[in-house]
Order: sequence, then C-alpha cells, then structure tokens
Amino acid sequence: MAIKDVWRRMTLLDRFLVGLLICAGVLAQIWLGSRPVGATVVVERDGRVVFQAPLDTPRQIAVDGPLGSTEILIEQGLVRIIASPCPHKVCMGMGAIQRTGQVIACVPNHLLIRIDGPPEETTAEHAYDLLSR
Amino acid sequence: MSLNRPILLVLLVVLLLIGGLRHWLPEEQKAVSHDRILMGTVVTISALAGNGHDLEEAVQAAFSEMSRVEKLMSPHQVGSDLQHLAAPTSSVTVSSETAAVLQQALAISATSSGAFDPTLGGLKDLWDIEGEHPRVPTQTEIAQVLSHAGWQKISVQGQSVHKDDLLTQIDLGGIAKGYAIDRAIAVLQEHGVTLASVNAGGDIRLLGQRPDRPWRIGIQHPRQPQALIATLEMQSGAVVTSGDYERFFEEDGKRYHHLFDPRSGYPGRLCQSVTITAPDATTADALATAVFILGPQAGQDLLKQFPQAAAIIIAADGTALVTSDDLERRLTWQ
Amino acid sequence: MPMTSSAVNPQRLHQSRRSIFLALFIALAVVLHTMEALLPSPAPWFRLGFANILALSALFLFGSRAAWTVNLSRIAVGSLLLGNIFSPGFLLSLSGGILSTTLMTGSRAVFGKKIGPVGVSVLGAAGHATGQMIMASLVLLRHPGVWQVFPIFLLFAVAAGIANGIAADLLIELLRNHRSFQPSSLGENP
Repeated sequence: MAIKDVWRRMTLLDRFLVGLLICAGVLAQIWLGSRPVGATVVVERDGRVVFQAPLDTPRQIAVDGPLGSTEILIEQGLVRIIASPCPHKVCMGMGAIQRTGQVIACVPNHLLIRIDGPPEETTAEHAYDLLSR
Repeated sequence: MSLNRPILLVLLVVLLLIGGLRHWLPEEQKAVSHDRILMGTVVTISALAGNGHDLEEAVQAAFSEMSRVEKLMSPHQVGSDLQHLAAPTSSVTVSSETAAVLQQALAISATSSGAFDPTLGGLKDLWDIEGEHPRVPTQTEIAQVLSHAGWQKISVQGQSVHKDDLLTQIDLGGIAKGYAIDRAIAVLQEHGVTLASVNAGGDIRLLGQRPDRPWRIGIQHPRQPQALIATLEMQSGAVVTSGDYERFFEEDGKRYHHLFDPRSGYPGRLCQSVTITAPDATTADALATAVFILGPQAGQDLLKQFPQAAAIIIAADGTALVTSDDLERRLTWQ
Repeated sequence: MPMTSSAVNPQRLHQSRRSIFLALFIALAVVLHTMEALLPSPAPWFRLGFANILALSALFLFGSRAAWTVNLSRIAVGSLLLGNIFSPGFLLSLSGGILSTTLMTGSRAVFGKKIGPVGVSVLGAAGHATGQMIMASLVLLRHPGVWQVFPIFLLFAVAAGIANGIAADLLIELLRNHRSFQPSSLGENP
C-alpha cells in the first residue's frame, strides 16, 4: 500500500528518472565491478604521492627526487628499483616487492615505494611479521 | 497541527538511542600502518589495537616524536645537541635526554671495554661512510683521528658534558636510533595503544603481545639479500640487527662497512651480523654494535652482564652462535 | 483611522515569510545533517541526506536561490558544528552538495512542472554521490580504485533520494495547504 502512495506522488518524468538511474547503477556495477581492485604501486616523495600504477601492468618509470631520477621497474607483479643517483645504491639492493604493505625506498633521493591494495590473508601465510636486518 | 508531542518524543528517544549506541559500542578499530623516511632509513609504525583511542593520531604522534629525537641527536642538524658537542669547548650543556642517552652509552662502553664507543664521530667523518665519497684513509690519518677518540675522555654530570680532549667528536649513531624507537613506543603507549610495532630499517621494537600467536621476526641472511637466515618468535620487546651488509662501500675489491672497531679504526671483521633481543631498543642497539665488534666469544661474555639480553651471532666464517637456550628454542633456522 | 490590516503589501508578506521559513529550513537541515553524522554507517561518508528534504522544499516553495541558500548554509554550519570544517569530510560534503544542488535547480528549470520532488530528489542524490566520488578520486584519495564502490553508492543514493523526495512532497503539501500562498507567482527565478 505504501508503494502505491509513493507511486502516486511521482510524475511520469520522476518514474523515468528513477528507472534511468537504477539502470545506470546496475550498468556501472557490471562495468566497474568486473575489474577487481588490484594491488597498486604507490611512489611517494617527501610523504606526498607522486605516482601510482597498477601492479599487474608491466612498465618502467622514472621518478625525480632531489638527487636526480630514479628508475622503477614493474614487471610480473614485482616492483624494484633498477637505477638511482644515490651514492650507495642501497635501494637497488633492497630487491623486489610484490605484496601489499611491502616497502622499498631510495632514502637519499627521498623516494618511498610501497604496494597498496586489498589486505592480504593473515601473516600465517607469510613467514614473518617484520624483518630485522 | 498534530505535529508536536508524539513526534518530538520519538525524536528524543531516537537521539538518546543513537548517542548511547555510539558511546557504548565503539566502532571497531582498523589497524593503522604508515611508513616514513626518518633517520636515514624507512621507519614503519603499525598500531594494531588500543583502548578505543585514535590509532591514526597515535601513529602520527609517534612519528613526530622520532623526528624530534632525530633533530636533537643528529650531528648534521643545525642546532642539535650533537652539533653543540662538536664545538671545541671542554664543557657543553645539553638536554637531559641527550645527557641520559650519553650516560647509557658510556656505561656500555665501560662494560664492553670500549668495543662500543660514542666518540667515533671523527673516524666516521674521515671515512665519509655516510657521505657521497667514502674512501679508505691512510694509517696515519686513522691514528691521528683515533688519538682524539676514546670514551674515557668524556664524562657527564647532570646536563653537563665534559670533554678532556677538545677535538673529541661525539656520535650517538650506535644508540640514538634505538632511543628514538623506545620514545616512539612510549608515545604510542601514552595514546592508549596496546599492540604495535616500530620498525626503523630493521631495528624493531614490539609493544604488547599478540593474542593469537607470538610475533614472528624474520632475520636477514647476511650474504643472501632476498633470504632469511632464521625466523624468531617474540612475545614482546626489541630486536636489533647490526650487519656488515647494511651500509658499505667497496674499494679495490674489498668491502668496508659502517661498524668501526674503535681499537683499530677499521671496520670490525669478526662477525657478519649480530641480532640482539632485549627489553628495550636503546640497549639492543648499543649491544648489537658492541657484540659485532667483539666477535662471538667476547660478545657472548659481554652478554653475561646483560641477563635480559640475548644474541644470534653470525661469525665471519658464517657459523652461528646463539647465546641463550631460551632464544634458541624460539628460533627456526631457514 | 482604522488599521489597514487588509492592505498588507503581498510582496513584503511573501518576503518575510520566505526569510522566516528559510531560516527555519536551514536550522532543521543543520539538525538533520549533524544527527545523521551520529548514525553508524558502513562507509565513512555514506549519508542518507535527510537534510536535503529541506532544500527540496525550499526549491519548490521559494525557488532556486532559496535551495542554494539552504544547502550551502547547511554545509557550512553543519561542518562548523561537527568540527570538520576544511577537513576531507567537509570537502566531500561541499563537492557533493554543489553538484547535487546544481542538478536539482537545473532540472527544475529545464523540466518545470513535469518533474516532481521525487525526480528532483533522486537527481540530487545521484549528483551528491557523484560529486563526492569525483572529489575523493581526484583530490583526496587519488586512487582510481575508489570508483569500485560507486555503483552501490549510487543505488543507495537513489533509494535515499526516493525517500527524501516523498518526505519533501509531504512537507511541501503540508506547508502549501497550511499557509495558502502562491510562491511562484511573484516572479522568483525557477
């Protein structure tokens, strides 16, 4: 009965608009929902995000910091620093990261690279909570 | 208009209900984790649970505190206590914090017979180990710098630091990071956090015990960059690793790292890495350096003086030594 | 000389009615806005937008400028009261509110009598959701994955829009019958 009251209070155009928007919502769900939110590579300089890209698409990018340009390679779901103008190249020695929450950085060049994304299963799947080095 | 009484009453009840619900059913907290570049490394602070307080705020406050300690104890920061200490005056007044940390450093120097030494600022500058052009100095240069080093040349009375030798350069690098970590944990506690971790480039302190299982700490393999040498189970406390692979440069095919032996002026050669477990990070940080320099045997002896601390020592030849049975039980070798 | 009670200037009467009712609407909108913030909600900025009922009523009774007045004032005062002015929550409220009010006043202008409070309300709700999404993805979170929640957000908004539209329709009817005046005959801009 309440539905009929609601219906009566809507003009023809009202009903059309509601129908249109519902369809739009459903279509949007089909279109957007089919692409699951994957992990994203996020690059920060001095705490500000300067670059983002999905982890699943291979690419190579150069990010600038105070010392110069740091080259980052994303391939096969891994991210690593392949070139950087810092003196000790510690960043290049950090290896590759692939899981949400992992971080590598070129400290002298003020760059921090991390992986954002859906939270992973509990650390029982991984060997450890934290790494001491 | 029959608008008023019943509806207003209903409204009031609803408001009270909402208010009550919000008060007695605090929203479920989501763990907060952030990374920042501080003290020359990536610092990750994760707050996992607290007494209904704002975890985000706690983590930010902890970072601010670490930044404050860095500014106070860094030799490169203009106006820091360390910069004041670098001046060629025999008596310098510093903050009570710096004085306390320096006193602790000197105590460990004494107990370790000088293996840990907070007066190696001049030596570090000579090697330029943290700079852009590190190099191997000559014997003469090293001898010259070492003549002004020596923990016995420093004494602390209250907030006053006395230098016997005006050219002694104090450097708290081997202990300040541990102190900053301890301060971060203290700030987290002040904000009601009950379960958290602070990881400053591999120097870790844990707050609280995990409800489901112990914390699992991976220990970096000193020779294989992508591998672990062991995983360690901890209820709580600090884990600090000093290794010859962290900061180094190569010259003529030889590797020179950042952990200097105060007795020779050259990097220590007796260990590949040392991992210390202790209740607090300040002690763990200092002991990691001391044991690294002392080597497995002397290092093990030193730890007898610190019953709450234990170590995993990977000697220069790769053999592993664990200084306590309890620690051995909690280790899983990879 | 008898009191010229019957010679009241209709325009001035309308203007003072408008001021009083708009003030009332704004106050009520602020109350609804802040009360809503107390409600537990699945996501941080999922709000039902009950305050929009007042903006809708203002739109249909007093015109577009009135609707803008109610919504912008509600956002400003509401944020001051909640203590989140110039915070992300405020920016989202603002972006949602601006797009929403634009669509509402625009649709009334374009469609006139053909569109009723429910139609305007769902457009407003959709606009609010979209405005918030755009602000979130471009300025605040800057993460394209933010759009994942948009379809649910939109459908939710449409449902809330229908409810708010009905409520507004009832309120407008109530007020019109109670005070018997012709709001749009005084040349208000639609």
